[in-house]
Amino acid sequence: MTRQAFMARLREGLRGLPPQTIAEIVTDYETHFTDGLAAGRSEEEVAGALGNPDRLAREIRAESTLNRWHAERSPGSAAAAVFAVLGLGAIDIIFLLPILMGVAGALFGLILAAVGCFFAGAMVFAAGPFLDPPGGPLTAIFGGLGLMAGSASIGALLAIISIGLMNALVWYGRLHYRLLKPALES
Amino acid sequence: MPEPIEIQLKKGALELCVLALLSKHDGYAYEIASRLADAIGMGEGTIYPLMRRLQIDGLVETYLEESPTGPPRKYYRLSEPGKKSFQAQKDAWASFSGAVDQIVFGGAK
Repeated sequence: MTRQAFMARLREGLRGLPPQTIAEIVTDYETHFTDGLAAGRSEEEVAGALGNPDRLAREIRAESTLNRWHAERSPGSAAAAVFAVLGLGAIDIIFLLPILMGVAGALFGLILAAVGCFFAGAMVFAAGPFLDPPGGPLTAIFGGLGLMAGSASIGALLAIISIGLMNALVWYGRLHYRLLKPALES
Repeated sequence: MPEPIEIQLKKGALELCVLALLSKHDGYAYEIASRLADAIGMGEGTIYPLMRRLQIDGLVETYLEESPTGPPRKYYRLSEPGKKSFQAQKDAWASFSGAVDQIVFGGAK
């Protein structure tokens, strides 16, 4: 592969990253070609030693997305991280997918249930005392408060579990880098 | 393709090797990459993401230096935290590799 072809495919693959990041990465690899040529190697040799530019770009993008998950734990960055790990295209991750979706679905359902319980608690707390509940208005107020506190703590617990699972997935995904970290065949 | 254990070992040792090279003198990426590619068979493209990560982690700093040929060159040097991290990783490596050597090559007792 020529230098031009390598750089074009790398640039293409990096699309979507911040422009400054792309510029830095592109400069690094351009310099690498320049240095390699100065050392008497051919463009093909240098490109061959660098590996497949599509794969390289995909792993760089995955890494940047996974870092975003570490910096900002939001549903959006979590979803992006899941797709980045899937994009690494490792067979075992693909096999993992159905299990992963089952677990994610169950967690999502539980979180919805916790949110529902919280609002139900709020209703009991706010409206209960006026509806002449059994045991008097105070029972409704405290019962509502208890329901809200209970579902809030279950929600927090679920959030902690979700974050832990995501971290495990990110860790697992990183094991599948072929060009980024590992010292594979040169 | 090397055995998986070899890959795992190299993965772990790569950062330590880069820090070790930089602890001797400042370097630029191509120099570090070709050194490590020859010595431990590391893929050359691996160096750039690794250097970016070390930079983000604050272990290395970059500066530009005029080069006699072509545009200014980006040099890497160890930061203070980088030096500390190198020392810690070096100690960990020494005790670990010593223990493994002892078991693997130590012979019968």
